[in-house]
Amino acid sequence: MENRNKSVESLISDLKERAKELSCLYEVEEILNRSDASPDELFASIIETIPPGWQYPDICHAKIIYRDKTHQSHPFVETAWVQTADIRIQDETVGKISVYYTEERPCVDEGPFLKEERKLINTIAERLGRRILHQKLKEVFEERELPPKKEAEWWVILSLLRRTDPQLLLRISRKMTNYLCWSGSKKAEELLEHFSPAYKDKDSELFEDLNRPHKKEALHDFLHISEEVFSIAVAFLGAEETVSSIQKWIREEKSAFLVSILENPATSHAEIADAIGRYHHLDPDGSELSVPREKGFRVSLVRRLLTSQPQFVNVAKQFIEVKDFYDLLHRVIFPANSRGKLGGKSAGLFLANQILRKLSKHNEFFRDIKVPKSWYITSDGILSFTNYNNLEDIVDQKYKEIGQVRQEYPYVVQVFKNSRFPPEIIKGLSLALDDFGDRPLIVRSSSLLEDRMGTAFAGKYRSVFIANQGTKQERLIALMDAIAEVYASTFSPDPIEYRAERGLLDFHEEMGIMIQEVVGKVVGDYFLPAYAGVAFSNNDFRWSPRIKTEDGLVRLVPGLGTRAVDRLSDDYPILMAPGQPGLRVNITLDEIVRYSPKKIDVINLKTNAFETIELDVLIRKLGHEYPRINQIVSILEHEHLSRPMGVHMDFEHADMVVTFDGLMTRTPFVKQTHTILNVLQEQLGMPVDIEFASDGDNLYLLQCRPQSYGADSAPASIPKDIPKDRTIFTANRYISNGAVPALTHVVYVDGQEYSDMSTRKDLLEVGRAVGKLNQILPKRQFVLMGPGRWGSRGDIKLGVSVTYSDINNAAVLIEIARKQANYLPDLSFGTHFFQDLVEASIRYLPLYPDDDNIVFNETFLTKSNNILPDILPEFAYLADTIRVIDVAQSTDGLVLQVLMNADLDKAVGMLAEPTSDIEPILRKKKDTFEKKEAEDHWRWRLRMAEHIASQLDKERFGVEAFYVFGSTKNAAAGPGSDIDLLIHFRGTATQRKGLLLWLEGWSLCIGEMNYLRTGTESDGLLDVHIVTDQDIKKNTSYAVKIGAVTDAARQLSLKSK
Amino acid sequence: MDSKSFNPFEMAQEQFDKVADLLDLDQATRDLLRNPIREYHFSIPARMDDGSVKIFKGFRVQHNDARGPGKGGIRFHPQETADTVRALAMWMTWKCAAVDIPLGGSKGGVVCDPHSLSMREQEQICRGWIRQIARDIGPITDVPAPDVMTSAQHMLWMLDEFETIRGGKYPGLITGKPVGMGGSLGRKEATGYGVIFTVREALKELGIRPDGTTASVQGFGNVAQHAIELYQQIGGTVMSVSCWDQDDQTTYAFKKKDGINLDELRKIADRFGGIDKGKAKDLGYEVLPGDLWLEQDVDILIPSALENQINLENVNKISKRVKIIAEGANGPTGPRADEVIQERGIFMIPDFVANAGGVTCSYFEQVQSNMNYYWERDQVLGKLDVKMTSAFIAVSDLAKKRKLYMRDAAYVIAVSRVAQICRDRGWV
Repeated sequence: MENRNKSVESLISDLKERAKELSCLYEVEEILNRSDASPDELFASIIETIPPGWQYPDICHAKIIYRDKTHQSHPFVETAWVQTADIRIQDETVGKISVYYTEERPCVDEGPFLKEERKLINTIAERLGRRILHQKLKEVFEERELPPKKEAEWWVILSLLRRTDPQLLLRISRKMTNYLCWSGSKKAEELLEHFSPAYKDKDSELFEDLNRPHKKEALHDFLHISEEVFSIAVAFLGAEETVSSIQKWIREEKSAFLVSILENPATSHAEIADAIGRYHHLDPDGSELSVPREKGFRVSLVRRLLTSQPQFVNVAKQFIEVKDFYDLLHRVIFPANSRGKLGGKSAGLFLANQILRKLSKHNEFFRDIKVPKSWYITSDGILSFTNYNNLEDIVDQKYKEIGQVRQEYPYVVQVFKNSRFPPEIIKGLSLALDDFGDRPLIVRSSSLLEDRMGTAFAGKYRSVFIANQGTKQERLIALMDAIAEVYASTFSPDPIEYRAERGLLDFHEEMGIMIQEVVGKVVGDYFLPAYAGVAFSNNDFRWSPRIKTEDGLVRLVPGLGTRAVDRLSDDYPILMAPGQPGLRVNITLDEIVRYSPKKIDVINLKTNAFETIELDVLIRKLGHEYPRINQIVSILEHEHLSRPMGVHMDFEHADMVVTFDGLMTRTPFVKQTHTILNVLQEQLGMPVDIEFASDGDNLYLLQCRPQSYGADSAPASIPKDIPKDRTIFTANRYISNGAVPALTHVVYVDGQEYSDMSTRKDLLEVGRAVGKLNQILPKRQFVLMGPGRWGSRGDIKLGVSVTYSDINNAAVLIEIARKQANYLPDLSFGTHFFQDLVEASIRYLPLYPDDDNIVFNETFLTKSNNILPDILPEFAYLADTIRVIDVAQSTDGLVLQVLMNADLDKAVGMLAEPTSDIEPILRKKKDTFEKKEAEDHWRWRLRMAEHIASQLDKERFGVEAFYVFGSTKNAAAGPGSDIDLLIHFRGTATQRKGLLLWLEGWSLCIGEMNYLRTGTESDGLLDVHIVTDQDIKKNTSYAVKIGAVTDAARQLSLKSK
Repeated sequence: MDSKSFNPFEMAQEQFDKVADLLDLDQATRDLLRNPIREYHFSIPARMDDGSVKIFKGFRVQHNDARGPGKGGIRFHPQETADTVRALAMWMTWKCAAVDIPLGGSKGGVVCDPHSLSMREQEQICRGWIRQIARDIGPITDVPAPDVMTSAQHMLWMLDEFETIRGGKYPGLITGKPVGMGGSLGRKEATGYGVIFTVREALKELGIRPDGTTASVQGFGNVAQHAIELYQQIGGTVMSVSCWDQDDQTTYAFKKKDGINLDELRKIADRFGGIDKGKAKDLGYEVLPGDLWLEQDVDILIPSALENQINLENVNKISKRVKIIAEGANGPTGPRADEVIQERGIFMIPDFVANAGGVTCSYFEQVQSNMNYYWERDQVLGKLDVKMTSAFIAVSDLAKKRKLYMRDAAYVIAVSRVAQICRDRGWV
């Protein structure tokens, strides 16, 4: 009861206070409305009015300072208990009001002052400011009522300015003077002296007498000068131009605040967003800015929010307008005081979208192209996340041993997923979710490194799909989980290793996030786009000589584009060159069916999971719901493919093959993608790759970045002046990109010998021998060179009859076209297994040795020692036709490098020292990866093999000798290579069993160690071959390796007793 | 070029000469049959997508039409040569004669690489080819069909151009058309069923009842699947099949103690007959290295995958129990292996006969097209049985009578039939 009385009392006292404040405000209003009062009178009255409005009127004093003049209560005591508000006229502080208590009072909201009193004093200050402005304007207009001295419009403006904003007048006068000087007015040049003494010639007083202080002209002098300036202007430019110039400059002054915010590197995104918002309200369509000023804004905004890369800025400033940023900033989430950027992926897409939008007026193909709704988190979001959770130590992760990084990574992911997001980020994400609704989302990384043009950082960081189903809270948690996972991927071993290899470890990496709506439709329980894919403006995989590099390449799949982005091992995307859509990779029915996509990536809305499912099953069940299915599949019936027609498709029983025939021939898709690629390449000044998807109605652009190259498919630089004896071949037609730095073996099928073979059986045997070589030569370390078309069927005289499995371990496939009688044979361009080559990144190269200016070192190829009889004795009789060259053996330890550059249309095969780097690769940092591979992996493997040998008990296992061979011995091992061991065994069956078990233990153990070093998983690393005395006697199987002429196995010493 | 180098036409002539010696043919007959009776070489101008015009070289070789209208495919191949086409035309003559189909042998082609041509450009070439040869082919003179890198689509373009020129409907001009557009039902089953019709006859000859016999099949493609289907219907049990595994780039053999179940394997196989080895294991199949299909302890081997699968290296691994080898594929047995098989007395049904179901069905398509009346599937397969059975009996009778290896017998019967009619017509 007592409490209640108390609260009633305090309520009453509060109300009394409010009443006092209100009556104070009324009185102030009344004073201000006395139109005749001079400012001094106004100030005096207001000082009287203030104290009664405050809580403690008896000890309250007020003071107003206006333009260097002070008005205060009498008596007046200045104390520490003060509350102050600025009086502003048009953004300029012209004075202030202060309220003092002369004695101490208990602290409430603002010292002893109430928060309501703060509002009150602010209101009074604001009202006062307006009143003064109003007064000034009134005077000006009254003056105008008087018979004007000069009627001209510019004069009116000038006098208005002089009264209201002399500073502005000064700046405008100055601008006009400059403008006049540039326009060649002599008089103006003279006037300029008044503004800047330094303008004078060399013999000016400035230089004559540097010690004498400059005479400073007083401000009011300039005001007088301004009149003169404008008189000259009117005479020189005419009244109309003068006025329009003045108006333009006044308008520009309006945006001055934006300049100061943008140019100040210390301003945060919050301030920028505020300023842009304010600017947007002042000038919604940006039409009031001069062109250079607008450009300046664009550049500043691009630099602050997107990237400071000069190339990017240069393009961006032409296409991104200030108002575009207004829209963008609405969907940017940033931590307090953020100064981060959006990161490479977001910036690239934003720019590409603006380019297409701005150019859509001129190009009908762009009109239907959209970008999915996206929200962004700035790159410093990850820092605020780690700080908020005290995870600062994580930054050191990148300097740890890669094995440790790999081991700790799962833990990092867990820690990140269990960490909390700062409240301002959560708030932002919540807004984003309201905006997205329950559409599935993809959370993409958009890091600063990805932003560095030229660094192929493709796919190193995670992208996470989320189904975004359930309650708001569930969806928010899932979204944060996904972001945490993407954040964690910054510390995953692969990108760290990649950065280490390229010297980018010390780069201050920050991770922006792009949250994008997934393009697609609901089909049954699934959500998926009709189709999606990636497109490259340069085609590096030409399957026909008619396809030019600039014809581009599209990898197209049904469903989510993940299957098009990655090279697949178990499936194929549809390939198409938008510049030559008619030239298909796959021609025969068998090829078309074999190389068509069989699986599809979807989001399962029921399980909230990303899934890969059988396309066939999906279409049979839900074909009628699948968007634009008729454009995607063809029907295979009686060995004839046809486009489905009408709506009466029998999805359940029809045999369907994904061909995209309808899409390519009946829609503008091909034209659209080709034009997009061309336009973006032209505008960005470099080849690009884009990701896209379609929901069946519109084509969406999902990503745009400079064309990336895999480690092995970047254009290689071709060294000049290679010594003749080191050049094996050169080529200058139909070259794709790539570099194969260290080939240890050459398999050369001699064209003449091959075509001289008299029976079909012999020709087939050549194919078989190649298949065998493919099994025993070191993987991805040999080149296959042969006449005509590899993989010829039917008429196998035209090329060696092989299937893909006979060549799948080669690094390079070369077809040699030699003039025959009077014609030059066509080459296959690898078309028999083209898509397999692409997916396995086996390089293809056609050679035309009879062309002019071409080197074809036949001597090396036909006169080097042929090791075929040694390694495949059963094919020794083919030694004239098949020549296998151990490059190191024939050249005293050199390797064969194949360097290919599509831009120059040049390629070379040259002998080089095995340790020498490939010449720095164009557009890319020197790739030290291969070197590491060559040096590191084999050494470690050899050390391991030596260790195992040293632990092996001869007696216990009945082992006579222990050898290592293959890539470990040849210093060619890669991160996934086996260690080939050869064991000369003389024991019993039990011993043999024991030995194999013992070795299996080692194999698994070393496999695990290798995983920690390289991330390559294996079921064990040892490949053990056991040979017996009998094998050695008969020289069968691997026994040939012991004491072989070439590539002999190396013996290791066993455990010493 | 060096004269000793491999020339398919010379090889075909040599092979013919051997048979001619065996038949003791006179010189005129030899001269006639060693070479094509007519050849057409022509240029086909085609307007390319970029507006330029390119001239393509086309051929049609009619080796012999004494037994009826020529029959043979059209190949689109960048390194097509006249000799290749000649050899293949000659082979068609023997192939049709071997199964006693009243057709001659032809082959055609265009030197071009479809991988470097758009579909529109290929259509130009197809129509251009017909324009050059329309007066010299036709339903009652010479009938083309799809071949290397040509498909039903190409055939439809060609037919359309031909009908436009001739001003009428001539579905019998060409075979390999889709069902509903002049194609025949039963084509899918024809080759595989044909293999088993001959196996059935071979068993009859050997006095073995088909039920209770076992077989091992190499391949699980269209031919193999239909062969297994019919073989099971006549009571046989397939113990194992082998097929290509795309993921592992190798072959596996799938084996089940009580025989494989075709339906369940079809369900876990892709379109190319690649069986999912994981699912097969779940179904209780033993998954073995692919080569082992040959070493199974069965009565019948049916190689129906690739050429040159039985060779000197592995021929001795064939089980003692094997009594019949039926060549579902083209040329699965190497010449040296043939000698061993002959020595061991295994009954060989050569590809010429065993897989002639395909060419027979093409003939049926032409017959139906000419009547403009199309049979039901069962009718097609019934007629196929009759045709294949009598073809087999003729060859095997000859083999028995003259103590010839079946492969030689098939060749001899083919050449003698052609030679006979040339003589009867008074040509030689």
